[in-house]
Formats: sequence, C-alpha cells, structure tokens
Amino acid sequence: MKDTAIAFQQEEETSETDSPTGKIYFVRLNYSEKVQHMIFMICFVTLVITGFMLKVPEGIVQKLGSAGEAVFLIRSLLHRIAGTVMILVSVYHVYYLIFKPAGRRWLFDMLPRFKDLNDLVGNCLYYFGVKKEPPEFDRFCYKHKMEYGALIAGTILMAATGLIMWTEYRWSKFIIDIATVVHGMEAILASLAIMIWHLYEIHLKPRKSPIDDAWITGVIDEEEMKEEYPLHYKKIMADPKLQEIYIKRETQ
Amino acid sequence: MRPIYFKYLTFTALFLLLHFGTVFADSEVLPDTENCLYCHRYPSMGRYDESGVKRIFYVNDEKFARSVHGKLKCKSCHAGVDKIPHTDVKKVDCTTKCHIREPSTDKEFSHINMVQKYETSVHGNGSKEKPKPFPEDLPTCKDCHENRIQSSVTGLWGKSEALSNETLARCIGCHTQKDWAQNFYLHFTHRMRRTRSQPEIIKLCTSCHEDSQKMARHGLESVSTFKDTFHWSLVKYGVKNAPDCISCHVPVGYTTHDIRSRTDPMSSIHTLNRIDTCSNQGGMQSCHPGATAEFATGRVHAYGTKAQLAAGMKVATFEDHENFRLLERAEVDISKDEIFHLKVLSLIQLFYKVFIPLVIGFMAYHQWLDWLKIIRTRKKRR
Repeated sequence: MKDTAIAFQQEEETSETDSPTGKIYFVRLNYSEKVQHMIFMICFVTLVITGFMLKVPEGIVQKLGSAGEAVFLIRSLLHRIAGTVMILVSVYHVYYLIFKPAGRRWLFDMLPRFKDLNDLVGNCLYYFGVKKEPPEFDRFCYKHKMEYGALIAGTILMAATGLIMWTEYRWSKFIIDIATVVHGMEAILASLAIMIWHLYEIHLKPRKSPIDDAWITGVIDEEEMKEEYPLHYKKIMADPKLQEIYIKRETQ
Repeated sequence: MRPIYFKYLTFTALFLLLHFGTVFADSEVLPDTENCLYCHRYPSMGRYDESGVKRIFYVNDEKFARSVHGKLKCKSCHAGVDKIPHTDVKKVDCTTKCHIREPSTDKEFSHINMVQKYETSVHGNGSKEKPKPFPEDLPTCKDCHENRIQSSVTGLWGKSEALSNETLARCIGCHTQKDWAQNFYLHFTHRMRRTRSQPEIIKLCTSCHEDSQKMARHGLESVSTFKDTFHWSLVKYGVKNAPDCISCHVPVGYTTHDIRSRTDPMSSIHTLNRIDTCSNQGGMQSCHPGATAEFATGRVHAYGTKAQLAAGMKVATFEDHENFRLLERAEVDISKDEIFHLKVLSLIQLFYKVFIPLVIGFMAYHQWLDWLKIIRTRKKRR
C-alpha cells in the first residue's frame, strides 16, 4: 500500500503540474448518460407511484370522492406514457452501447469479470475486519454491475409484461395472469432494491449525504475518485488517451 | 261563567283543528282512499318484531307518490290488512295482480312474467321436480328491489335537468294532462339509466356472495377474489362504466332476472358467449373491442378456494363442512387446465416470495455493513 500511496502522491503532483487551473474532476457520466439517467429516473418514479396507486386500500381511495375517476384516468395515462418513454430510453441505450464509442467503453467496463466476484468477497471481508484494505475498484465495481444487471433484467420483464397487459385482448387469460403477477412482484422487488441499494449510495452513505450530485454534474473530484475507484484512477493517470476522456479541468 | 267559555273555546279549537285536518288532507299528494295514512303518517310508528328487528311502518306519502309504485293503492300489494290491528297480514307477493291495466294488453298487471323467468334462473327456487336445497338462502324480489323513487335520465349532457324539462315540455304539448305526462315520462326514462352505482351493485351482490358459509352450502365460493382484479381497481376509483358484477354477468341483451350458471349456454359467461360479453359491443362502452377467443375463455376472478381444493393446495376434512362441500363441486367445476394455471401462478408467486426477501435482505445487510465500516473508520481517523 505504501507504494501505491507514493504513486498517488507522484501522480497528484504530476496532475497538479499538468493542470494550470488547479482542480481536476473525473467524468463518471457524460452528457448523454446524464440525460438517459434523468429520463429513466423520472419514468421510474412516475411508474412506481402510478403503479402502486392501484394497490391503495379502498378506504383511502374513497376519500378522493368524485375526483377519483379523473385521478385514475390521469394515473393510467401517466403510467403508459412513462412506460413508453422508459422503453424508448432503454432502446436508445442499447443503440448507445453498440454504436457510440462512449457506449462501447461503458459496455466493456460493465462486463462481469472474475475480479468482481473476488472484489465482492474481498469487500465483505474488509467489512468484517478480516482484511485491512478494501479491494481496488475499477470504473464499475461489483455493486454497479449487479445493479445494472438487475436493471436490464427488470426493465425487460416489466416492459414485456406491461405491454402484454396493455394489449390484453390479444392474449390468453393465463398469459395475462402470469404477466400481472410478474409485473406486480417485479415492481415490489425493483422499488425496494432502488430504495435500499441505490438510494443508500447517493443519499444515506455518510460521505455522500444528503445527496451525491454526480447525477447532475456528471463528475467527481480527485479525492473521491482515488478513494472509490483507485484502479480506474491509476489507469487514467497512466494513459493520456483516457485522460482526455475522463478528466475535466476546472475552468476559471 | 268560566266553564261555559271554556266549553266554547274547546269546541271552536276542535272544530278548527278538524277543519285544518281536512284542508291538509285535500292537499296531500296521495289520494288516500283506503285511509291508511290515518295511522301510517306518523314517523314514530313501528315496533320490534319477534326476532328483535326494528320495523318501521311509517309511510312518507310524498316520497311514495314519486316512487315506482306511487300509483298503486296500499292493498294492491299488502293483501289482508282489513282488520285493525293487522293480525292477518300476508307477505307481499309480487306475482299478484295489482288492479292496474297494462296498456299493451289491457289486462291486469302483475310481475308474474318476471318471477317465472327468475325461478328458472340461478337465483330461483328451481323446478318443482328438482327444488334447490336451502331455499331460505335464495334471494327474493325484495332482497334486491326497493320501492325506488322515480328519477328521469340525466347526465347525457352533464348533470343538468334541462334535457328532461325540454323533452317533457314537448310531451305536454299534445298530452295536456301535465301530471299524467310527467308520470309517464318518469316511468319511461327511469328505466333508461342505472339506478345503482357500481359500488352499490357490488355491495348488493356481495351481501350474499361474500358469505362463504352460505355460498359453500350451494357449492360456491366467496367472490372476494374479485377484489384482486384490475376490474375492481376501476370500481374502487369510481371510474364511470367501470366493470361491476352485472357488466359481465348481465351485459346488454341479458336480464338480471335470468342470470344463469356459467355451464348454461344461455349464460353471458358461457364460453360460447364470452367474446360478445368481453367486447360488449352493444353497450355504452365497448370494453375489450378486439377480444379474441383465447382471451375471452379465461377465468376473470382470481383463483379462489375451489381451485385450491381441486389442485390439492388446500385440504378439506370432514369437520370442515364448508370446504368439504366445495370440494365435491370443485372436482366437476375446475378443469385440469385451470389446476395447471393455478399451480404455475402459485409457483411464480412463491419464487418471488422467497427471492425478494433474499435479495433485499442481502442488499440491506451489505449496505448496513458498509455504513458501519465508514462510521468506524471515521472514528479511528479522529
């Protein structure tokens, strides 16, 4: 670890000399990714609210009185709009992954590797105090990869079952029943996962609280980069091509 | 002298009272030729019957006059009320002739046609050769029908009364007897609208159909599974034209008095008629206009006790009379396909019921460890 610390110091020095304006930032999300995240997030929240509105108990719904019908119709419309937009963003994301260089880099960095399993075990051992240092994470660690995988699986399942329910008259009741059960259960799973896994990372995690602004700015500072993604940091610092992509200098 | 004055005064007061009485009697909405209102106009009139149920015998003549039976005399329905007190009262029988001439046939009117049809329906007593068991469970006319106040159709263009007034004005142009025209108009338009809202219909039907013991006596299960469907969500939010019980069981072209078992080809929910029922093309709103045969053959209510018994997911014992009776019917009613469907659906549910706590539990534990570690390292650094 001492070596890496020295290496960091040296790199810091070099980076500081490289940047006449001082502070440098590391890109976590580029413009397209930020927009994709933003749209997806709005859709997700809308879908969760308008979807679970169906499960609100009768007694509470009745308090809406005559406004209930309008609320229901708006709910239905919003759910369908948000669902459609979410599918479109997902389709664009696939296009982005295949046809854009940044997308291809994303896909390559996101691929699961044996190291991730090692990291998971290593990180847990670090939590338990068996290991003194956490494993060094690359651009995406096992947490990101698991969440991304769950997001892909969840979106495909939700989109497919949602579309089945939307075109209900074309299917057999058995298929619709399966779609309904899967859509409902997957919704519970996705909502809870986002609440516990994702919101912890950006809201509750002590050093991120009250909110991690990387989803708006798209960047994190050097200190955070070294702490969270040391391997990626080293890779960037060793490769001028990567520096062009991932380093943003503060403009004054 | 005083007592004489007093006598005169009392006499005058009584005279005036009686006089006012006749004045009020003249202005009454209902020509009370049978003199029933002499007693029944008092709101406090009533008693507790043998079973402890409060019975109210008060008649609000104004409301009665506006009701669907407002033109009838009391004795047309309440036979045998000649003695006072009424010890010889007979139960109201809707098949009796009520001394009103039915204009199309000029014969005395009676509800016997409806009752005859009803008796052959799923709610009827069955035939004389094959009467249904537990006849006391079966609904009679009065279980669903009240003497409703007639109301004309409104709401085609908003909730304004203007439509009614304008149409009625046209009637009165030729039919100069205003009262007659108004009554005829109400009689006609009252039947052009639903008298009960969707929640009211569901409340009415479930007052029996959610009583699982009563249902089990007839080999049926509680319909509470309806509340697991999307149809119910629409009703819950008060959506107009939301599907309630009669939307599928009595669609356009069927009558509530002739609801039949789903195995009967005359039933709206028989496999042969399902496409028409689901698409509801002749209705106010076509529900699933492009319904395919495959879509329309499935089960609409969620799987209930009967399917669970047939699939062996619930066991009925001899002591458990309710389920034991259901099991007999379940073997006939639930097809092999339905058992398979139920098993697949249950398996998916079971998978998620195990998978969700596992995944979420792991996530919560992992993040909790992360949080602890960060807090501890911070403390150490300090």
